[in-house]
Amino acid sequence: MPHSTQLDKERIATSTPESEAGVLVVRRHQLLVRCSHWLNVPILLGLILSGLSIYWASPVYQHKPNPLTGNADPLADVGTWICAHVPGLHQYSSPPDWVYNHISLGPGMLAVALRLHWLCAYLFMLNGLVFVIGSAMGGGWRSLLPRRTDLRDATKMFWYYIGVPFAKLTHLSWLHPRFNTKYNALQRAAYFSIPVAGLLSILSGWAIHKPMQLYWLTWIFGGYDKARVWHFCLLWLFVLFVVPHVILVLADGWDTLRSMIVGWSTKAQRSEDFSQ
Amino acid sequence: MNLEDEHSALEADNTSSTESASPRKPASFFRERPPQVMEVAPQLLRRWSRRDVLLFGMGAIAAAAGGGYLLPQTTLKRLGIIHGKENWPKKEWLLNRSLRIDDDVAEALYSKNRLVPTYTKSQITPLRNNYNGATPNPSYIPEWRLTLDGLASGLSVVLNIRNLLASFQVHEQITRLVCVEGWSAIAWWAGLRFDDLLGAYPPMSQAKWVRIESSVNLGPWGNPDPYYVSLDLSTARHPQTLLATHLNGKPLTVEHGAPLRLVAPVKLGLKNIKAITRITYTRDEPPDYWAKHGYSRYDGI
Repeated sequence: MPHSTQLDKERIATSTPESEAGVLVVRRHQLLVRCSHWLNVPILLGLILSGLSIYWASPVYQHKPNPLTGNADPLADVGTWICAHVPGLHQYSSPPDWVYNHISLGPGMLAVALRLHWLCAYLFMLNGLVFVIGSAMGGGWRSLLPRRTDLRDATKMFWYYIGVPFAKLTHLSWLHPRFNTKYNALQRAAYFSIPVAGLLSILSGWAIHKPMQLYWLTWIFGGYDKARVWHFCLLWLFVLFVVPHVILVLADGWDTLRSMIVGWSTKAQRSEDFSQ
Repeated sequence: MNLEDEHSALEADNTSSTESASPRKPASFFRERPPQVMEVAPQLLRRWSRRDVLLFGMGAIAAAAGGGYLLPQTTLKRLGIIHGKENWPKKEWLLNRSLRIDDDVAEALYSKNRLVPTYTKSQITPLRNNYNGATPNPSYIPEWRLTLDGLASGLSVVLNIRNLLASFQVHEQITRLVCVEGWSAIAWWAGLRFDDLLGAYPPMSQAKWVRIESSVNLGPWGNPDPYYVSLDLSTARHPQTLLATHLNGKPLTVEHGAPLRLVAPVKLGLKNIKAITRITYTRDEPPDYWAKHGYSRYDGI
């Protein structure tokens, strides 16, 4: 047991009576990492809401203008469709703006949206710095690095997740693949790509914001118009991450959610494999 | 760390996942460390949980209140949080402060010697007429004059388009015009350098800014609505800042600001004022049409 001495050192002597046995907890998330994780919620929300208001001024994705309405914006089509098909919305005053009225600050608010977007963008960059410092101090970044075995392990995890609902329905035992790392390969892929996506969002944002002074950055993203496409594709990546992320955390239970608040988890036995 | 080291790091991980790693092997910098397990009394654990979850809850409430406070008044009104015409000056101050910080960053990034990318004629794209209001009636063009104020001589100078074209060298450039709305266009411009005009009619010594005005600009209902922009002298002196007279090889049309417009590719399109009628050099920053509507003042890109 090569690590046993280290574990002993970590043990905290408590002043509780002998009758109450201690609970084994494992350190999960560094304080600064937890702070930056939760700060991302309001900051990303602000960025997305103001971002869609900015998008409305000149939609990136456009189709051929509709000969009747002159509209070329697919998001306006979605709004029109929703108002035409959802009961109670038939009287909505401006159907093409429905999406922008509900998942942005609202249309026609470019100036205020830009102002809020810059504020949130600077906060997002500062928050990224907090994350980098926190994961350097806690050493948590090592758990996020991709490994050679990831593809094989991710496939195993994928089949496990596919099988869980059937196993639950049929009351068959369905074993969680064993791993002795902080995250399984699928989690690792997700948690590694999100900071990378954050960095790419910042870089593509600067490429759009300063295409003349930082023209080399704009060039890396394939030019001004392509940099805008990058910036929006990265938005979709965040959305695609957040939705299953929230579902899986809630499905995994209170301990996992709590660990992002308090920093420790009582699921210590999984980690004990390390020293065996 | 080179790639080789990283590979050995991955290798080390590989072995540890199947068999326990040899204790003699030095741990790689990249290898995941074993988790820190500790034994804590349940009482203490409960106290920690309570403290941290309470702190988190307070933080969440503060974030929700602070974030909601920063939303635009129109959005808050639509959400039914505020009614009527409430104004929160402190919020405006805070948001405008962040806008100023972004302007300061833009100013720090700007260099008079850094040229913007230029394009070839095959890359030219259509340029839309983005006059915010109505396009002016071209009847102003024959009578058009440019007035220069705030000069070192203390006099006002009035020039017509023939004077300008006769006394200055014409430069050509194919550059991108970027609009604050997000669209952009590559256009082939020709005209005189602003720097040459500054050389021929030097501004007063304390001047740091230029106010450029178009008195022929119209509002959305065809009402007179003079347009004016502020421009820092450093940007005016940039070699690619033109007072353009031609677009795509032809004299400017009324849609694109005949007979003289500003082309400053280091600024957003809204600074590229069309149909200029007056240029005034000033010591203090002059007002700017779109800055009054909540956009930034410097607009450097």
